[in-house]
Amino acid sequence: MTTPFVIAVPAKGRLQANMEAFFARAGLELVKPRGVRDYRGTIADLPGIEVAHLSAAEVVDLLAQGAVHLGVTGEDLVREKIPDVDERVVLIDALGFGQANVAVAVPQAWIDVHSMADLDDVATAFRLKHERKMRVATKYANLTRSFFSTHGITDYRIVESAGATEGAPAAGTAELIVDITTTGATLAANALKVIEDGVILRSQANLVAARAAKWDEAERATARLVLDRIAAQTRARAFREVRTRFAGCDEALLADAKQQFGVEAPLGGPTSSGMLTLHCPPEHVHALATLLREKGAENVVVADLGYVFSRANPLYAKLEAGLA
Amino acid sequence: MPSAPVLSTSAAPDGRAEALLAAFDRAGYARVAPAILQPAEPFLDLSGEDIRKRMYLTTDPQGHELCLRPDLTIPVSRHYLASPAAGKAQSFCYLGPVFRHRESEPSEFLQAGIESFGRPDTAAADAEMLALGIEATAHYGLDQPDIRVGDVALFSALVAALDLAPAWKRRLIKDFNHKTSLAHDLDRLTISVSRARSDYQGVLAALAGSDPKGAHALVTDLLSIAGITTVGGRSVGEIADRFLEQAALGAQTSLPRDSRTLIEKFLAIRGDPDEAAADLRAFARDAGIALDAALDLFESRTGFLAARGLDIGRIRFSTAFGRGLDYYTGFVFELHDPAARAEGQLVAGGRYDGLLTRLGSARAIAAVGFAVWIERLAALRERS
Repeated sequence: MTTPFVIAVPAKGRLQANMEAFFARAGLELVKPRGVRDYRGTIADLPGIEVAHLSAAEVVDLLAQGAVHLGVTGEDLVREKIPDVDERVVLIDALGFGQANVAVAVPQAWIDVHSMADLDDVATAFRLKHERKMRVATKYANLTRSFFSTHGITDYRIVESAGATEGAPAAGTAELIVDITTTGATLAANALKVIEDGVILRSQANLVAARAAKWDEAERATARLVLDRIAAQTRARAFREVRTRFAGCDEALLADAKQQFGVEAPLGGPTSSGMLTLHCPPEHVHALATLLREKGAENVVVADLGYVFSRANPLYAKLEAGLA
Repeated sequence: MPSAPVLSTSAAPDGRAEALLAAFDRAGYARVAPAILQPAEPFLDLSGEDIRKRMYLTTDPQGHELCLRPDLTIPVSRHYLASPAAGKAQSFCYLGPVFRHRESEPSEFLQAGIESFGRPDTAAADAEMLALGIEATAHYGLDQPDIRVGDVALFSALVAALDLAPAWKRRLIKDFNHKTSLAHDLDRLTISVSRARSDYQGVLAALAGSDPKGAHALVTDLLSIAGITTVGGRSVGEIADRFLEQAALGAQTSLPRDSRTLIEKFLAIRGDPDEAAADLRAFARDAGIALDAALDLFESRTGFLAARGLDIGRIRFSTAFGRGLDYYTGFVFELHDPAARAEGQLVAGGRYDGLLTRLGSARAIAAVGFAVWIERLAALRERS
C-alpha cells in the first residue's frame, strides 16, 4: 500500500494567509480540488502530495505522532506541545512570518518588578503574606514551567487559560500571565507590561518534519523536491541581484565587496571583460552600488530575484541530518 | 522508540506490609484509606508546579482537575480536616498505592505511613515518628538503617535572628527549602539590581533615609494618582512595601559578609545530635544570636529519642539537611540502607505544622508524619 506524502498547514488564523503566500512564492500553489471548504488539498503541479488544512495545534499533534511528513506551524506550539522536541521533529527552517514572543507579563502597577529575580522574590513574599501561591494564567503551561524553573521560581500556580489570557489579572483569576505578544498593544490595553528578561521564546512560523513519519526513498525524494523550491525562493528573497561591467572590476574588488557587504558571486568571478553578477543582501545594495561606481562602473543594474536554484540543498541537508 | 515503562511491580500489599500496618494500628494509629482519585489542586499548591510533570492528571466533565494521588500525606490531612476530630489530637496510618512518574522505578508504588495531628508534645511526637520509622525498616530485616536528620526550625530561627533585609530572609528560607545543600550556593546567591532601579536611584536613595510611614504613604499616593488600584491580587500597599524594601537594599547585591560568615559556620555544624547541640549552643553564644527556643526543643527531642532506647551516636544530624519541600517546619529525617542497595530513602518524613492551615484550617494544627517505601524495603532481602 502506498501512503501519500502529507504536508499539514494551518487552515485559519494569522498563519494561514502568510503560509499560502509563502508556498505560492516558492512555486508551490496549494489547490483544493473539491472546494475551499475542503480540508484536503494538493499542490498544483506535484501529484502525490496531499495537503492537510488543519488548526495550527492539530498540525503539531500530527507532527508529533508522525502522521504527516512535513508541517507549517508556530515554534511556540511545537515547543509547548512536544516535550521531547528533538526526539520527535526536525525544525527545518524559520519562515519569516507569524512572529510573536511568548513572554511573562505582570500588572504595570507592579513598579517594584522589572526582572525575573524580582518576580521570584515577589512570588515568595506573596505566598508568605496570602498563604497561597501567585497564579499565572497561560495556555503555555509547559514553557512556563520550564522557564520559571530555570529562574528558580517555585511559589506559583498555573491557571490554564483557553482564551483572552491578558484579561485574567483584571478579572481577578490570576496575578500575572504568560502569553504571546506581537506589538505589546494588547498587553498595554490591559495594563500589563513584559518583564525585561521575561521573553521565553521568540517564535515564528516554522517548516517542521516529523521524525516518526515514513521516510523511505520515495518520501525523501518528494521532500527534496519541495525543499528545493522553498530553498530557491528563500535564497532569492535574501538577496538582490547586482550586475555591472567595467575594466577595473577584478578579483581584488570582489574580495573587498565580499568582506564589506557579504555579497556572493553565484556565477563566478569577473570575466576578462570585467562582467560581474553579484548577490547582495538588500540592506547593502546602495552602499555596494556606490562602491562599484567609485571603482569605475558606468552602470550598476539591481534587480529582484525570482528563484536561485543551487546544486546544494541546505534545507534538505538539514532534514537528512535531523532524521539520522 | 523507548520501551514501554514498567508501570507497577505490586498488585496488592503483601502480608508483610499488612503486618506492619497492624503494628501501627496497635500502637494507636487508626488506619485510613483515602480515595485514590483526588483533587489535583492541593498537591500542586503545596508541592509546586514542578510536581505536575510527575503526576497523573485528568479532568472531570465539569472541568475540575483530578489526579491519582502522588502521596498520602495530603489526602490523610484532608481526611482529618473533614472529620469530626479536626483540631483534636488524632493519629492515622495508611497503606496503599501512590502514583508518580519515575524514570528508573515503577510509577505506581506502595507507600505505608503515619500522620499525627494536633499533638501538643512536639518533642515526644517527633521522637516517636523516628522510632516508628526505624521499626518499619526493622520489620523488613534492617535493624540499623542509616539515620539522617535535620531541623528546619533551627535555620528559620537563625535567619529570623540575623540583621538582614526582608528580601534576603525570604531568599534564604526559600533556597534552604529547595536545595539539598545551601552551603554551596551562598557564592552564587545574589539579589539582582535591575536596570530600573538605577532609573529610580535618586528617588529611592531619598526615600531610604526618610520616615518609613511617610515614605509608604507617598508611594501609595503616587500609585493612586496614577489611577492604579489593586490588579491581580497584590495590593497597592504591598507594592509600596516592597518598592521601599528595594530602596533600603540599595546597591547591595550580594549577601552581607558578616551574615554570610555566620550562615556558613552554622551550616558546617553536623554530627550526632548531642555534639551538634553543644556546637550550636557555642555558635549562638559567640554570634550573640538567640536560638534558645529552637535549641531547647532540639535537645528535648534528643532526650526522648534516648529514652526510647535509640543510640544517639548513630544518628547523623546536619544543620544543612532539608527535604526539599517548603511545607516542613521542624524536625526532618530520612532512613537509608547503609549498604546502598536501594535507590533513595526507605523511610522519610518530618514535621509540617503549617500544612493544615494551607489546606484551609482556620487555626494552626501541629502535624508530623512519615512515609515508607514498601517495594524498596521488600527488595532489600532479594538483593542481600
